[in-house]
Amino acid sequence: MFLARIGGTTVATVKHPTLDGCRFLVAQRLEADGSAAIEPIVVVDWFGAARGSTVLVSTDGDIARAKLGNTTPARMVVVGIVDPVKTAVSSDRSQS
Amino acid sequence: MRLGIVRGHLTLNTAVPAFRGRTLAILEPVTMENLVARNGMGGGKSLIAIDELGAANGQMVAFTEGREAANPFWPEPVPVDAYCSLIVDTIDVHS
Repeated sequence: MFLARIGGTTVATVKHPTLDGCRFLVAQRLEADGSAAIEPIVVVDWFGAARGSTVLVSTDGDIARAKLGNTTPARMVVVGIVDPVKTAVSSDRSQS
Repeated sequence: MRLGIVRGHLTLNTAVPAFRGRTLAILEPVTMENLVARNGMGGGKSLIAIDELGAANGQMVAFTEGREAANPFWPEPVPVDAYCSLIVDTIDVHS
């Protein structure tokens, strides 16, 4: 699992049949220092995460398979919307 | 899923039986910079994915990687690690 920031939404008419009705969000994976990955990812969202919010993304397809069937290619799924995250990274660096 | 632009298609002369009749697309992954700029460029390292949706050259698709890419062929064992899951109509992003 990793954290990602929601950058926007995407719409697709032509898609694998198991993905009908899914909400797709464009997100960027976040590193520990808060920087975003170069390449965006498309995640399936059942929580209604808003643009700009930080979400927890699971790359395990089991959740998607349970909801969408065994033949679904969906993999990255939003499993939670995150409150502000505290990490020890910034304080450690300032001490060293 | 990552986003990629279809840059071409691949035909295999000899292939494992599971790949017969499949369409293989050459994809160029898209970086956030190019996505926001809407310049039609990719920027990532190209890869090959099975495409059952009929995406044309220049179209943007989202592709699944890893074990889940083989799920659409379940329970058939198909040695695939990238699969075009959807063809993008519109994308609404700000950096």
